[in-house]
Amino acid sequence: MVCKGLYNAEYERDSCGVGFVASIKGNKSHQIVSDALTILENMEHRGACGCESNTGDGAGIMIQVPHEFFFTECVKLGVHLPAFGRYGVGVIFFPREIRLREECREIFARAAERLGLEILTYRKVPVNTANIGKTALSVEPVIEQVFIACPDHIQDPEEFERKLYVLRNYATHTIENTVKKDSIGFYMPSLSYKTVTYKGQLTSMQVRTYFTDLSNKRVVSAFGLVHSRFATNTFPSWKLAQPFRFIAHNGEINTLQGNLNWLKTSENGFSSPLFTKEEMEMLLPIVSSGMSDSAYLDNMVELLTLSGRSLPHVMMMLIPEAWDGNDKMDPVKKAFYEYHAAVMEPWDGPASISFTDGKIIGATLDRNGLRPSRFCVTHDDRVIMASETGALPIDPQLVKRYGRLQPGKMFVVDMEQGRIISDEELKQDICSRKPYSDWLNQYKIRLEELDAPRVTFTHLSEESVFKYQKAFGYSTEDVEYLIRPMAIDGKEPVGSMGSDVPLAVLSDQPQHLSSYFKQLFAQVTNPPIDPIRERLVMSLASYVGNNGNLLLEDAKHCHAVALKQPILTSTELEKLRSIDTGIFQAKTLQSYFRADGKPGSLKAGIDRLCRYAVDAVEDGFEVIILSDRAIDSDHAAIPSLLAVSAVHHHLIRKGMRGQVGIVVEAGDVWEVHHFACLIGFGATAINPYLALATIRTMKSNNMWETEQAWEQLRKNYVKAVCDGLLKVFSKMGISTLQSYQGAQIFEILGLNHDVVNKYFAGTVSRIEGMGLDEIAKEALAKHELAFNRKKIPVDRLSVGGIYQWKRKGEFHLFNPQTIHLLQYSTRMNDYSIFKKYSKAVNDQGEKACTLRSLFRFKRTRPSIPIEEVEPAENIYKRFATGAMSFGSISWEAHTTLAIAMNRIGGKSNTGEGGEDERRYELMPNGDSMRSAIKQVASARFGVTSRYLTEADELQIKMAQGAKPGEGGQLPGHKVDDWIGRVRHSTPGVGLISPPPHHDIYSIEDLAQLIYDLKNANRAARINVKLVSKAGVGTIAAGVAKAKADVILIAGFDGGTGASPVSSIKHAGLPWELGLAESHQTLVKNKLRSRVVLQADGQMKTARDIAIATLLGAEEWGIATAALIVEGCIMMRKCHLNTCPVGVATQDPELRKRFTGNADHVVNFFKFITQDLREIMAELGFRTINEMVGQADCLERRDDITHWKYRKLDVSPILYKEPADESVGLYHQEDQDHGLSGVLDWKFLEIAKPALEKRERVYSEFRIKNTDRAAGTILSNEISKRYKAAGLPDDTIHFKLTGTAGQSFGAFNTNGVTLELEGDANDYFGKGLSGARIVVYPSKEAGFVPEENIIIGNVAFYGATSGEAFIRGKAGERFCVRNSGANTVVEGVGDHGCEYMTGGRVVILGDTGRNFAAGMSGGIAYVYDVKGQFAENCNMEMIDLDPVINGESEELYDMISRHYAYTGSTVAKFIMDDFEAQLRNFVKVYPKDYKKAVQKAKIKVEGQ
Amino acid sequence: MGKPTGFIEFTRKLPHKKPVADRLKNYDEFVDRFPEEELTKQAARCMNCGTPFCHSNMGCPLGNVIPEFNDAIYRKSWREAYDILTSTNNFPEFTGRICPAPCETACVLGINQPPVTIEEIEKHIIEIAFEKGFVQPRIPNVRTGKKIAVIGSGPAGLAAAVQLNYAGHNVTVFERDDAAGGLLRYGIPDFKLEKWVINRRVELMEKEGVEFRYNANVGVNVSINDLLREFHAIVLSGGSTQPRDLPVPGRELKGVYFAMQFLKQQNKRNAKKNPLANATIESNILHEDILAKGKNVVVIGGGDTGSDCVGTSNRQGAKSVIQFELMPKPPEERTPYMPWPTYPMILKTSSSHEEGCDRRWAIATKEFVSDGNGTLKALKLVDLEWKLADDLRPSRFEEVPGSEREIPCDLVLLAMGFIHPQHNGLLDELGVEYDERGNVKATEKAYQTNIPKIFTAGDMRRGQSLVVWAISEGRECARKVDEFLMGTSLLETKDASLLSFFV
Repeated sequence: MVCKGLYNAEYERDSCGVGFVASIKGNKSHQIVSDALTILENMEHRGACGCESNTGDGAGIMIQVPHEFFFTECVKLGVHLPAFGRYGVGVIFFPREIRLREECREIFARAAERLGLEILTYRKVPVNTANIGKTALSVEPVIEQVFIACPDHIQDPEEFERKLYVLRNYATHTIENTVKKDSIGFYMPSLSYKTVTYKGQLTSMQVRTYFTDLSNKRVVSAFGLVHSRFATNTFPSWKLAQPFRFIAHNGEINTLQGNLNWLKTSENGFSSPLFTKEEMEMLLPIVSSGMSDSAYLDNMVELLTLSGRSLPHVMMMLIPEAWDGNDKMDPVKKAFYEYHAAVMEPWDGPASISFTDGKIIGATLDRNGLRPSRFCVTHDDRVIMASETGALPIDPQLVKRYGRLQPGKMFVVDMEQGRIISDEELKQDICSRKPYSDWLNQYKIRLEELDAPRVTFTHLSEESVFKYQKAFGYSTEDVEYLIRPMAIDGKEPVGSMGSDVPLAVLSDQPQHLSSYFKQLFAQVTNPPIDPIRERLVMSLASYVGNNGNLLLEDAKHCHAVALKQPILTSTELEKLRSIDTGIFQAKTLQSYFRADGKPGSLKAGIDRLCRYAVDAVEDGFEVIILSDRAIDSDHAAIPSLLAVSAVHHHLIRKGMRGQVGIVVEAGDVWEVHHFACLIGFGATAINPYLALATIRTMKSNNMWETEQAWEQLRKNYVKAVCDGLLKVFSKMGISTLQSYQGAQIFEILGLNHDVVNKYFAGTVSRIEGMGLDEIAKEALAKHELAFNRKKIPVDRLSVGGIYQWKRKGEFHLFNPQTIHLLQYSTRMNDYSIFKKYSKAVNDQGEKACTLRSLFRFKRTRPSIPIEEVEPAENIYKRFATGAMSFGSISWEAHTTLAIAMNRIGGKSNTGEGGEDERRYELMPNGDSMRSAIKQVASARFGVTSRYLTEADELQIKMAQGAKPGEGGQLPGHKVDDWIGRVRHSTPGVGLISPPPHHDIYSIEDLAQLIYDLKNANRAARINVKLVSKAGVGTIAAGVAKAKADVILIAGFDGGTGASPVSSIKHAGLPWELGLAESHQTLVKNKLRSRVVLQADGQMKTARDIAIATLLGAEEWGIATAALIVEGCIMMRKCHLNTCPVGVATQDPELRKRFTGNADHVVNFFKFITQDLREIMAELGFRTINEMVGQADCLERRDDITHWKYRKLDVSPILYKEPADESVGLYHQEDQDHGLSGVLDWKFLEIAKPALEKRERVYSEFRIKNTDRAAGTILSNEISKRYKAAGLPDDTIHFKLTGTAGQSFGAFNTNGVTLELEGDANDYFGKGLSGARIVVYPSKEAGFVPEENIIIGNVAFYGATSGEAFIRGKAGERFCVRNSGANTVVEGVGDHGCEYMTGGRVVILGDTGRNFAAGMSGGIAYVYDVKGQFAENCNMEMIDLDPVINGESEELYDMISRHYAYTGSTVAKFIMDDFEAQLRNFVKVYPKDYKKAVQKAKIKVEGQ
Repeated sequence: MGKPTGFIEFTRKLPHKKPVADRLKNYDEFVDRFPEEELTKQAARCMNCGTPFCHSNMGCPLGNVIPEFNDAIYRKSWREAYDILTSTNNFPEFTGRICPAPCETACVLGINQPPVTIEEIEKHIIEIAFEKGFVQPRIPNVRTGKKIAVIGSGPAGLAAAVQLNYAGHNVTVFERDDAAGGLLRYGIPDFKLEKWVINRRVELMEKEGVEFRYNANVGVNVSINDLLREFHAIVLSGGSTQPRDLPVPGRELKGVYFAMQFLKQQNKRNAKKNPLANATIESNILHEDILAKGKNVVVIGGGDTGSDCVGTSNRQGAKSVIQFELMPKPPEERTPYMPWPTYPMILKTSSSHEEGCDRRWAIATKEFVSDGNGTLKALKLVDLEWKLADDLRPSRFEEVPGSEREIPCDLVLLAMGFIHPQHNGLLDELGVEYDERGNVKATEKAYQTNIPKIFTAGDMRRGQSLVVWAISEGRECARKVDEFLMGTSLLETKDASLLSFFV
């Protein structure tokens, strides 16, 4: 597809519901098929539909081949099918145009013939198109089944299966390459003798009716595997529906680009005894373009399975458990994983995968367990596995066991053996089939075991260090701001206040090449990971060497150097350089080019380097070291990133990449981003020799105040880099270095397509830019300065000026002049000075700083008098101030903004820190300090029913411009009594904001949270905040389908919050790109009119606002400029609590220095609106609505002559998506949130006396998994009337029976008691704010409750108060970020009590791993009879104390109440023997919390 | 940043000054040095701002990288501090003593607290550097063979000369006085800048290869044509030397002098030189001694030069010292119209004022009254009524009816500023163009006059200004001359990194 705009189909991602029903004994029945379809139907809320409610994103089912049915059907066609197993069935999507269809058929026939296969017949699959959406029907294929006979000479059915595989791949490629493409194309959902797939672009409700076959009683199967898709787009695509041929995938492959590259480069070397050479050639390429990440994964699974490995084995290879660093793992299993790590990298990302080869069916979960997978085993030998429990109603008496898939685990139903094989047995069997451990011992090379290097290494002299620093572009900032803290503290430095320097491609200063690369990050469709608190899933291990032939298992595949982490010291590098095991050697290639400044010199250098690399591979070297040490006055270094990526891609193209490891020895590598780029583009290991030499010199010259020895500083630095790398991976949701390597998770901003296609192939780059000669020019500038013959009078490194404004340094939009003018104009209420300010910001003249500075307005209609422009009052309400928490900024600064915004009718934002209730009352002068927008961020500080009820808008912060994909931390010293109270936490105890929302791991989860919040406050708009990046448009489309009312696109550059400096600068993209892409994509999808589009990020003037409007935003946020009006002077020390003007500090003395005034802020918004109206008059727009998305009123400035940015092409940003009159370009219609069927309406009816007269009520209801967020609307009504206090305890008592849907009891408040008999799904008790929830299994059920899963994952996330009693086990992340609820449960999964800050948790059973990670408050009592609990704890922040007699009342009380509410036998047992059982309890006591509690106790006693 | 909370813990302190009575006994400098501990505390007050206004164009004209050297001082990394400071400022020993420190009025801490003592820290850095022997001649490694004449050895000329020498050119400085320094030498009293400070610097420059020719008045005893023939480029840095006069009746009386005539004499005396010699070559040489001893002195003009006249008069033993200013008394604090970080026009009390002076504002001199023998005996004055504009700035005045009066006066020193460089002689003969204010015309970007090889810097180009501006002009001009001669330059400029010139 030729794209003029920014939309690109490759950005599409999907997530979904997945499930299966299987007969353990392999009994085929039609009931199984029907039940599977029921599961699909009951997970409809996990799928999505587009702009039409009857066009789905795709759904389908895979079953075993129903031989009896097909036999009959074929008889009707006059064909007598052979026996089962002797023929294959293919499902084909044909183009509708008959000519094309017949062309396909002919090619298919010839392909079959070539393989010696006989086509028996085609059968048209009958379909019923009633109620199928227009959009889906517009590209509905002709669906046929093809029957192919197994040739007589083939006896083994699996051999026949492989032939079918070759046929399908070959025919598909050939048709792809020869037949004219229409919008439907040719596609084969399945071709197998065992399985057959029915799927299409349908909603989950439509599958049963559309395929009439599925209702035929003769369609029988022992299993039905179903999938319902929620895609981020709505472009019709039948083929992307799942299941595929082997798997159904709920998840996302974050590392796709890298996985595909590695696959591509290894394809050349594929050989397998199971395929002839000719067949192998016919198979390739393994993946066909234009499919989804899940489809590619399916292709990979298929290849590896059909080339001889078992399906579970393949799943273990592709989605390994977290083995690295897990000392408790069985060595045999660990050896398996370690061996396979040398062979291939994980396909990394959140994943719940159901898989089948037609004989076994199973499921596996990724190492993080980021997708729910619940299963149920019945007494009649069925297994039901699904994303939700209750999707298939089961008679409680039939339930044998309720379980869930745990992170990294797998289970398989072997229908031939007629039993379930457990994870343990399965893996033990697979891992012991080959002597992996012996192979490793024999061939794995450990760096630390290598001999000392042949050549002793000499350090660079001080003089050369300085010269090299200059040559590679070090600034004093790089040394002092970046390298120093890394070396001394072992941490990446933190900065504040965003980035207002030019994009690399707009800067006058010669840039580091990696500055043109922006890190991408996870948002919405997949979650980022917390690399600190969930370190156990992360790995930096990798192998340098030859990967070998993927299709075979060979001992020598692991003959490679194993690295624990990718940073090599100079000595380690020398070891590697001189390695010689007899069959393993390294080759050093010099990475330089002629420094003659002539065009083509750099290219010649790269060509030579690539040539030599090929030679080295052909000469049999296993490692290539790319070194730039050998530079001199005539030869400059090739930027290491370019050198690595060029060699990497050259070798991929030659099919040689898998045969060598690439190691970099480079001077231009010092900050985390540099390392991330190198690894992301193919490097395996890096020796940052100059950064290390810099540390050494600084230490030996005593330039840094530190007692640490230089070796220690070096270790600290390496640690800081490693931690930084983990953070970079994890913000994309990637766990392992191996998967990140070559994954190219960047967007390029400012390199032209020649450079990108040749050297960075496959990376997104949308606005063109520099070519090789320009890159050379920047490299040479540094080189020339370093190697100049003349002495410089006072020779110092350049000043940088990126993290701090410096006169000689980088340009900043907020500089002394603009800050002064802005403050002066608003304080003096002087519009003429404001105009000067605007001019100083807007007129970047010869310089450009932002993408928008390259635009100018173009008049497409006559100007109008300003009086005709809509009044300022209409426009004020479109402004919001940024999300800054009370905690990050002072009370004074926070309320001043709120008062000002309330005066003009705009909106201020609470930020993520909760809100003091006194702000809900009007002030004596009529002002209001209430923030109209309440933010709901990952830590859920103070998110109570009342808080949500008090909002005009609820903003879900998916990401933050300053540090997308990262969490935050408020240090304990900033948490004073006041902030502690507002955030529902303990004063003095630090607070952690997790990187992900633990209730949003996917788009369907986001839809669920939106639904929850809408229940919590129906009057509030739900706003989803996203950060600009490639693909944000398709995410926005998904978010619009998830029913958000407002979508905010934030630029990377904004952000007032503290953040690692490399994230501020290198993560995310400018809003111009994200906003334009979002608007274009939403218009293309006809979704634009359903949402309000908002933009923010360093907006400073009316011109910025006007441009944002023309690019598609009808509302705008301004944060930094508003803070400056309040007195901020861009000190950029917000994180130190030392703000000298009282804005970003909690220090009472410094707060007194605050001089901000709401009048000034009002003046600012008045001025900016006035200025905006002047622009509107000039451009001829009467209203903002008219103006939204009129991108044709912008054009590129034609006076740009700068050598660097005149080559930029901004036309994709200025592209106006064509839309007919029926397509709305701005917000015109409200979302249908689907609240009409909510169970709460019934609740409200019954609760009327309670609500109106506080009378007690009791009632009973049935509940099923589609009843979600029970009690939330009810609580909203209580909060409206009775504020935070709610109703007296137990005023409303409802008893529910059945399976509760997600978010049961979410944000339920005081006075509500929900009693559930049955079981429940994820997010049970989310945000609980005072209510009581009780759950116990059906009284008819026969299983032992404490051994079964009764509630899902992420229960009580962000609960602030209330209590709950759970008779049975909970899933992963129980009580995550609980800050005040008291709960009792009988066992939990991994990551229990994560980030908890308050409340009490009693666990009367086992816990999973990583318990109490990041737990800073509250107490957990764990009943640890087996004495294994300590091993499962993350001990970083907690103590494990015994429960002493005197302190046990609280515990006893909770257990006895648990017994009273649930009748728990476990509780009864403990109560009866309490004294003795007490010693089986462990008290999990966070250290800081303990200190704070003791301090408070002393204080009380002192009084 | 050395200490994140330094600005909260410590307050501003200045070094101790000797008592007034002691000061008046001689012409020595009277400001002490900080003890080391106090120096580092004062440096610790620097907040290392994300946006350091001190080194913006609203602060230091040289672009001194103030937070960096403050940090180095806090860490007692003296050599580093010296390197940082001298990367932007050739003569910190001058600016550290006599700069009005616009950096301090732009200091962010100054928004609500006393600002960082930047100027004192600067002075300490350079004096410590001299003591520790860091200051060594920097002799260029490559000589270009190009010859450059610098005319005028004030701060602009010296800065241009030292920079051009670093660039490898052969520089000759022509000075019509008998020693280098311009106003530093013969305008600023010793008690503010002792002259060994200049000598120390000039000696260093000589070692570095700069040639100085004294009593060399180009156009008088040095041939302009020779110069044009011999040198590849010429830098005009003769200063703004034409004083503003007060043409009222009695101006010709004995006892009415320009401030510079008075001040130069005293500096010469301090240097044990004959103040009356060399009248045809040097500037501001009179045929008579001007002494304030026992006289009623009136200084007309309320600026820094006026202040210097006050201090010198008191040291000479004046009977009384009165200082007049035409303008009304400025406010004592910033008004909303002169907000931070702009340089505020507020009341400044100099050390000379502390030593005894009657200061009066809004007064105009109507006449110098003769004693009948051609000698001044009194001044006829009138009070002024000023009208303020919207921004509170004085806009126009009227004389207050009936306020006219006489006061006795024996010596009047006119310190009302300078109007432009001297035109006759060198400038007119070279034929350089003037701007509308009478200064040599050249832009602040190019420093080049209408004659391509002739450049100009300092007060001669921008009109009367600060020493720090003169140094800045000299440096920037030097870079332009270097570019003119060589095509490229490795000399620093204040608003761009060297790197940016290579792309």
